[in-house]
Parts: sequence; structure tokens; C-alpha cells
Amino acid sequence: MRRRLLLVVAAVLAFSLVATACGDDGGSTGGASDDVTAAWVYIGQPGDAGWTFAHDQGRQAAADATGATTLTVENIAEGSPEFEQAVRDFIAEGADIIFATSFGYMDDMEKLAAEFPDVVFDHATGFKSNDTNFTNYFGRVYQPRYLSGMIAGASTTTDTIGYVAAFPIPEVIRGINAFTLGAQVTNPDVTVQVNWTSTWFDPAVEGDAASALLEAGADVIAMHQDSTAAGEAAEAAGARWVSYNSDMSAFAPSAYLTSAVWDWGPYYTSVIEEVGAGTWDATPYWGGMDDGIVKLGSIASDVDAALVTQVNDVGDQMTAGTFDPFTGPINDQDGTERVAAGVSMDDGSMLGMDWFVDGVDGSAGG
Amino acid sequence: MKRLVLARRENPTRGGQPLAFLVGLVFALVIGALLLWSSGDPVIDTYQRMWERSFGSRDVISATLNRAVPLALAGLAVSIAAKMGLWNIGAEGQILFGATAAAGMARIGDSWPGPVLITAMLIAAAIGGALWALGPALARSEIGVSEIITTLMLNEVALRVIRYLQSGPWKDPDGFGNLQVTPLPDQAALGNIWERAHLGVLIALAVIAFFAWFMTRSVWGYELRIAGSSAKAATYIGISMRTKVLGVLLLSGAVAGFAGGIELTGTASRLNENISNGFGFAGIIVAALALMRPSGVLVVAVAFGGLQVGGQSIQLLGVSSAVSAILQALILFGAIGAGVLSAYQIRLVDRKVA
Repeated sequence: MRRRLLLVVAAVLAFSLVATACGDDGGSTGGASDDVTAAWVYIGQPGDAGWTFAHDQGRQAAADATGATTLTVENIAEGSPEFEQAVRDFIAEGADIIFATSFGYMDDMEKLAAEFPDVVFDHATGFKSNDTNFTNYFGRVYQPRYLSGMIAGASTTTDTIGYVAAFPIPEVIRGINAFTLGAQVTNPDVTVQVNWTSTWFDPAVEGDAASALLEAGADVIAMHQDSTAAGEAAEAAGARWVSYNSDMSAFAPSAYLTSAVWDWGPYYTSVIEEVGAGTWDATPYWGGMDDGIVKLGSIASDVDAALVTQVNDVGDQMTAGTFDPFTGPINDQDGTERVAAGVSMDDGSMLGMDWFVDGVDGSAGG
Repeated sequence: MKRLVLARRENPTRGGQPLAFLVGLVFALVIGALLLWSSGDPVIDTYQRMWERSFGSRDVISATLNRAVPLALAGLAVSIAAKMGLWNIGAEGQILFGATAAAGMARIGDSWPGPVLITAMLIAAAIGGALWALGPALARSEIGVSEIITTLMLNEVALRVIRYLQSGPWKDPDGFGNLQVTPLPDQAALGNIWERAHLGVLIALAVIAFFAWFMTRSVWGYELRIAGSSAKAATYIGISMRTKVLGVLLLSGAVAGFAGGIELTGTASRLNENISNGFGFAGIIVAALALMRPSGVLVVAVAFGGLQVGGQSIQLLGVSSAVSAILQALILFGAIGAGVLSAYQIRLVDRKVA
């Protein structure tokens, strides 16, 4: 039965390759990549926007580019036995690579990587790895966050931006700080008000959090959330909105300003190709705009053309590696200097960031 | 005028219950087949995969048994309270708080030898679960507040307690600022006894055997049965309804909390908010399907565990998680519906003219 299924999958993939090969030059690199089976564990459902959507878009792009067989399971709770079962199901199906796309899968990834040394375990957002078959990957999304902050800072007339944020962890705090630093470039008087939701995906809570910020005087809403609810609240209030994860302009077309988005396709493609070629090694990955894993999404048409040029210039500098958002002088909320003038923050300090920059209104402790 | 009524069968056929479940199952599988067919998924392959990845090999059978452990204990917890006509909808929170108490014990005894530490953790878990049920139990026994609402609401509170511990008091210093508690010491893990099945399988079996005896053969269990069927009769022969209500809810909470302790030491590397992951609510279904009997709980929990483990695997065939969830729900619904119909019959009766 399994053999027949594989044949069907292979046939479908072969057909889609023929179909896409005509259109672009991305086609298969040939060789071993199309023998690879790569599997993804999703925390939610892909739907049509957000974190899991972005990963699934990346999976599809990688499948098209490499010809690899791809498998997915959705709605797998972190820290529950569901995860281990999902990975064992994948391995029984012949998976060579496991991509786990949520932080809380980390302990199980570590354990299973030790049990299955011939399978590659790659964990998004985590920090654990071994030297052989287990590593982690993430992107410097604070870079496009900074750019989106520049646009948001210029758009607020009340000098108040509301930020609907999931949990007080370094990943989220880093994004808020980068966004605020960017906003200060175009608006030195801006305040970024943070409202913690304690949820990654809960449309009702996120919408309420955005509404509370709007009532408190914010006229632009940014977010580190998975749903589009904050944007819909901004749309209803006639305010503006910066989305995250994927380009969510369709969900609040008049509120939408821009977004910080993920493009996982190139990364997934390269891992599959390296595994296929036998050149993969367990080096942790934290790529930036130079790799194209993170980018600024589309920019609303009513944003001033001169500002767009300015933003694109800064983006080009980040891509070229000549500018970093966390370059001093940077003071925290208490006025203490955290990064000296002319110095760029090192990765270790960024990964453990637990303080807000001056200009953020809220507590980094949650 | 005629109308439909649900009337209790006067002479239910012997052995009718298992037969009814079978009919319900077949019914659900047929509806499920239509669902799969309409969503473009392979029907036979899906069912075959579901079976293979739940009961088809030693490896997955052991995973199914592990999954059955929290389901059985939660089902037992719910059925204990139900003997008194009480609904413990808070097993979810009691599991979480039981696990929290066990994790707290592991922090105190992180240098103790494994068997000592695990025993202490499991005792702490049971006490924690009972504590989490104490408020609703007192409110019910002393002033008659419905336990359905209070136990349910405490589920969310238990979740928040874990979030709080993750964010500060028990935060992992090696977690790079992420919200996770310090991992359990290595010796706090229940060992495996067969394939992937951990010792919790045997412990759960022993607990269920004990309650099968306790609920039917002990004086306390006997009094409980009387109190559950007639408060008047119970009061007449000197059974205090107040103590019985209090006791049975605390016991129910303790069993649920114990489930949290087993799940923590059996499957998790650290306390987290998904230790219960719906087991407390699933326990209500398990108890209902088992007709509130401990022996029934055992059988139903294994079947339910297999349904969960196998149900997840069909996503690899391209079946969406939504269809997989509907399919699992259909099978449960078919079984429950069949259970009702074996005990009751639908009759067409004359509508009374007022």
C-alpha cells in the first residue's frame, strides 16, 4: 500500500516538475535531492496567512525546486506525546529530514535525534544542537522589523504606535526594539506602547488588545502575532497596521502599511539539496535579509515615495552588511547605555535580549 | 399528533451494549468514508493507516498504551464523581496542577534516588489534584454551588499558574530567556517496561483495579452507591451527604492529579502547559462510554488512545488535520450514540392534548 502511495506521490511530483520547469530556471538540481523525503511538523494549520502558512509556502517552494517528497502534520501541541508520534510516523514513512517549526518541540527533537542518527533534525527558533544530525534555524527578522518601524513612525500622527505582542521572550522583545529604533529614525518623538497577549494565535484576544491600544491613543498597530485580528481592529478604527509573518494586506487593505515577512523557501531548498548531496552539516543557522529568509513585505501605495526610497536604501545596507539595526548608541528604558556609540551588538546579546529600548512604553518582563 | 420520545428500555438485551458499540462504530466508519471520499482522500488507505499506526505493530501498540494512561485515569476520575451524580469538568486543571505539584517536588528532591523521587512526585501530584478540587468540593458540599462551573473555571487558572512559573519562579536559567521551566532531573523519568510503554501503564492498571474493588466492595464505595442513588435513603441510614460529596470530589481530583504526575514523569522532560492537552475533557467521554465502570474505562481508554495515535498519522496520507479530527469525533459520536440507543429506545407517542 505504501509503495503504491509513493508511486502516486512520485508521479504527481514528476508531473509538477515538468509543469514548472517550463516557466522558470529554478527546476531540479538533479542528482540526489529528488530522493530526499523531508517532513514538517506544524504547530497550527497553514490556512492563508501567518507563521505556519509561511513555512508551508517555503515547503512548497522547496519541493518544487528540489523534487523532494514532502510530508506534513498540523496542529501538533508542544511538549505533548503527539510530537514524538508525528516524528516516528514520518520516519516510518522514510523521512530523511525533520523540520520542527515551533520552539516547544526542542526537548523531543534532541531526544529523537539521538535515537535516529541517520535522520536530520532541524529545529526552527530553538537553541539546542549536536554536532552530527541535530541543529536549529531562524532568521534575523528584526532587520525588516526595523524597516517597517521606519514606515510606521512616519505614519503616526499621534506619535503613538500600539504593539500587540505574544510573550515576553527575546525573539519578541528583539522585534519590538528593532521596530522602535526604526520608528525613531522617521519620528524621534514616537512612543511604542506594548500590550502583551500571552498567546501566539487567538484572534479574539489579539483583536481586543489592538482595540485597547487604539482607544489609548495609538493610530498605528504593529504586532507579533499569528492572526490577522489586530489588523482587522485597526481597519475598523480607521487606523494603520504593520503585519507579520506573511503579507496580510488582503485582510485589512486600507489599514495595511507594510509587513515583516518570512521566506523559508530558499533555506528549505538548500537543506534538502545539501542532505541529498551528502554535504549537510549540523551548523546552526541564523540568516538575514542577505539570504532572503526575511524581507519587508509590500508597501502600501499611499506611503510617501521619498520614504520608500529611504527605507529601501537602509534595507540595501542591511543586505550588504554595512548597517545593523542594533548599532549604538542605544539606551534602555531607564536611560542606561546598553550599546556604545558605533558598536554593533553581538549575536549572543541579541539572543538573550530581555530589556526594552528607550521609547518603548511597557514592561519587558511581561 | 405524535411526537418522538426517548424512553429507557425496560428489558435491555444482555450483551446489547458491546453490540451497540459495534453498530455505532460501523455507522461512524461509513459516514467517515463518505467524508473522506468527498474531500478526495483515499478511504481504504486511510482506515488501514489508522489501524497500522495505532495497533499494527509492537512499537505503536506501546505508544497507544502510553496514550491510554492519562485517558484512563482522567476517565476514572470523572466516573468516580459521577457515582454521586457529580460532574467533574475540571480534570484538565487537576491534571495540570497535579503535574505542577509533582514538578515542585522534583525541585525539592532533585538529588534523591529515582524511585524515591518518583514516588514523592506521584504523591504530590495526587495531593495537588485534590487541592485543585478542594474549592469546588467545599462550595458544593457546604453551600450547594454547582461543581460543573467551578471545576471548569479552575482549568484556566491552572494553566495560568504554569505560565507564571515559566515566566519567573521556575524559569530555566539556561533557556536564553524563553518561557520554559527548568527540566526535570534525569532520574525523575519512569522507565520503559515494554517497547516504548512506560511503567505508568502498570501503575494505571493497578490504580484502576484498586478502584474497581473500592467502588463496589468497600464500605465507603457501598455508601457512595447508596448516596448516589438516593440522598434520602443515605441520610436515613446515617450517611453524611456533605462528607460524601466532599470526599468524592477530592478523590476525583486526586486521581486526575495523579494522571498529571504520571504523564509528567512518563512522557515529559519538563513541566509544560500541554501536559494535559485535552485529556481531562477526553476523560468525560471515556467515562461516559465506559458507563462509569472502572473496567470499562480501561477498554475505552485503550481504544481512544489508539484512535488519537492512529488518527494523527493519517495526515501523512494528505488527509487534513480537520478531516482527521472530524473522523475521530465521528467514531466517538457513533459509539456514544449507540450506547444511548442500547439503553433507551425512541418511541412515537401520542401528544397530549392540553
